[in-house]
Amino acid sequence: MMQTISLLPGVTLRCFRDSRFKQGCLSFQLVQPMSGAAAPRNALLPTVLLRGTRAHPDLRAITQRLDELYGASVSPLVRRVGDYQTTGLYCGFMDDRFALPGDRVLGPMIAFLQELLLDFPQENGGFLPAFVESEKKNLISTIESERNDKRIYAMNRMLKTMCREDSFGIPRLGEPAQVAAITPEDLLSHYSLSLTASPIQLFYVGPAQPQAVAELLMPLLSRLDRNAAPLAPQSAFRPCRGGYVSERLDVSQGKLCMGFTTPITCRDPRFPAMQVMNTVLGAGMTSKLFMNLREKLSLCYSIGSSYHSSKGIVVLSAGIDFDKEALTREESLRQLAACQAGDITDRELEAAKAAIVSSLRSTHDSPGSIEGYYATAALSGLDLSPQQYMAAVEAVTKDQVVAAASTLSLDTTYFLKGESQ
Amino acid sequence: MNPTDYPELDETVYLDRLSNGLTVAVVPRTGFSKKLAYFVTDFGSIHLDFTLDGAEYHVPAGVAHFLEHKMFDLPGDRDVSAEFAALGAMVNAFTSYDLTAYYFSCTEHFDQCLRLLLEFVSTPYFTEESVQKEQGIIDQEIGMNLDAPDTVVFENLMEALYRTHKVRLPILGTSETIREITPEVLNACHRAFYTPGNMMLCVVGDVDPAAVARAALEILGPQPRPVGKKLPMEAEAMTAGQPLVTASLEVAMPMFSLAFKAQPLDSGDEAIRRELVADLAAEALFGESSALYLHLYEEGIIDSSFGGGFETIDGCAMLMCSGDSDEPEAVREAVIARAGELVREGIPEEAFLRLKRSALGRRIRSLDSFDATCFRICAYHFSKFDYFRFPELYRSIQAEELRCFLAQVVRAEAASLSIIYPVKKEEIL
Repeated sequence: MMQTISLLPGVTLRCFRDSRFKQGCLSFQLVQPMSGAAAPRNALLPTVLLRGTRAHPDLRAITQRLDELYGASVSPLVRRVGDYQTTGLYCGFMDDRFALPGDRVLGPMIAFLQELLLDFPQENGGFLPAFVESEKKNLISTIESERNDKRIYAMNRMLKTMCREDSFGIPRLGEPAQVAAITPEDLLSHYSLSLTASPIQLFYVGPAQPQAVAELLMPLLSRLDRNAAPLAPQSAFRPCRGGYVSERLDVSQGKLCMGFTTPITCRDPRFPAMQVMNTVLGAGMTSKLFMNLREKLSLCYSIGSSYHSSKGIVVLSAGIDFDKEALTREESLRQLAACQAGDITDRELEAAKAAIVSSLRSTHDSPGSIEGYYATAALSGLDLSPQQYMAAVEAVTKDQVVAAASTLSLDTTYFLKGESQ
Repeated sequence: MNPTDYPELDETVYLDRLSNGLTVAVVPRTGFSKKLAYFVTDFGSIHLDFTLDGAEYHVPAGVAHFLEHKMFDLPGDRDVSAEFAALGAMVNAFTSYDLTAYYFSCTEHFDQCLRLLLEFVSTPYFTEESVQKEQGIIDQEIGMNLDAPDTVVFENLMEALYRTHKVRLPILGTSETIREITPEVLNACHRAFYTPGNMMLCVVGDVDPAAVARAALEILGPQPRPVGKKLPMEAEAMTAGQPLVTASLEVAMPMFSLAFKAQPLDSGDEAIRRELVADLAAEALFGESSALYLHLYEEGIIDSSFGGGFETIDGCAMLMCSGDSDEPEAVREAVIARAGELVREGIPEEAFLRLKRSALGRRIRSLDSFDATCFRICAYHFSKFDYFRFPELYRSIQAEELRCFLAQVVRAEAASLSIIYPVKKEEIL
């Protein structure tokens, strides 16, 4: 069902042919090493491209064109996958079979993608200053708005401290001051260089033949002057001295975040065991953290753990009363120690495996999740199809989970507390 | 179970009303692994006053949500989430202003999961001890919402826009009201509204429709039971209670929600048609392809966080928009002024057809989402409308109707504006 076609040096098209859906998707991503200098530019770029083309010179004209394409959508696509960052556009569109007689969506959609990517207006060797300035302002406010969701805010603050020697500590969207410093010329030269030198990944999900999609893409690709260099492979986490950080804001609930490291990444054969371990410990409503800290002890409303498998980082986060910090830390570590000591019931193990398998089995049930799985796996180095991954999870033993748990060590703790505490 | 085909959408729906009064809908999805089931009661946070078996009840705010949490307890110390997890399924629930939904998704053991869903939602089991413990958990959730600007800006808006309607109360209730909730209160609400005649079961996935109906009859029993009668709410004047409400929180820049109070919808085809008209009018007024959106965006008054549409809640309807902005009052003035222009000038036919095509295409695309489809079928069912008939309704809508809607609804005296300022800015003011 998956077919990979190399269209030009460093330009890969992956097609997942499937006619069950009412909509298709197509993503275009430029792939680069994550760097402090490039991150804000990569985050800004797609929003500027979506402001206007020569033929559709403003937001309104662009949206009207998308309205004509039966309410198609094009959105910025900026991803962090381990040491890489991608920037590009994601198109979602209705399938041709629902269009008016004689009408088509896929072909015009790809033509419009080409227009957005290549036919943007220019001024003095840069993008239009008005577009760049207003999108800079928007990006800065997006970055600053991250503090609105205190759980995400706390998680980002913790990761920034923990990963200051690693690419994972670079903020995905850059810092406000870096964004403010970008000029229209900078941004265009960064983009031109990327179009020439960065690997390009295209991903299509829908009923069309891969060869037909490739042909529709050729007018776009033939306009690129390609000279791509391969990327350095993904690397393991580079630790530095961890510790404890706390911060005060005017909030009524505290947020505790604990960052753990493990040498096990998604490129490691022990990866499925680590995924099961994370689920037993903290993913979902049957996990040890949820059952014990929330249900038994009523210590918190929200608690969970997440595994950043491209780097080998596990983050535990909880929303708690300010005076429950010490107790929550202690209890969380006790639950991890239980995993390390093999105190895992068959029921916990089976529930964790079943949850992972079930979510993998439905990967193929929506265009977005198909694109998300395969496009990310291709970059992170996860060399497993959902089926292979499921089989590997089913085969995980309790001993392997215990062994995975034993690789975890606490690196950094962060606590967000209220002004009055 | 009777199938109806919708060739235009490439869909089939099996629908039946069982002898116990439960409506069951199944949308087959051949070739998909995922199966999703929603078991929904027409009972939400605003339904605080009702009669049952001749007695009148007035229950504390937050009871529907509290009940949702407590339904996950079963006698014998059984753990519902763990039982679903053991079947590889995910179970969850949510409470809105006008309904409560319990749902699971699975890829295997569908029949067992379905029976478990029907069982736990129809089994009331509330002890003093567990109710007290839940008060602590929900109090934390209330605390979390007090820090969530999106929730605060909306709850403040409802409190400003409405004078008496129960939408003024937070869905979760408050720390005080949840203390008044007892096992007796929960039992009364469960008896009144968790009866098959007040509920709907909807399944999307590759399943046997007859088996779904069979499970519902076996678990819930074949006999209908009395349904609580919601007491009518006081009619609201069509003007806003308060034009402006502000608060300050830890946010990066000011955020706002603006709403215009509209006549509440009834039910049936005519009501849904009005809803689609209102959605299109919202697009024409401030959607991304509107002149107003472009103007405000280019002036830097709004950013891509801006969005809006028509919202309906049992007994309420409003045209609303929200987002981040340094000048929320300017947004309100611009919306009112632009609506006036559209009412005077009308909407050009070409633009209107483009909007309809776009709205129809987006709805068709959203059918790929199991959750959106399942939820919409249930919500529209409670409004007595067959959701998959939306294409024919769109075809019948004329541009003139959008103009009438805007003339009726977008009025300064019907508007409330809710603003959250960053903490520091408020101090300077």
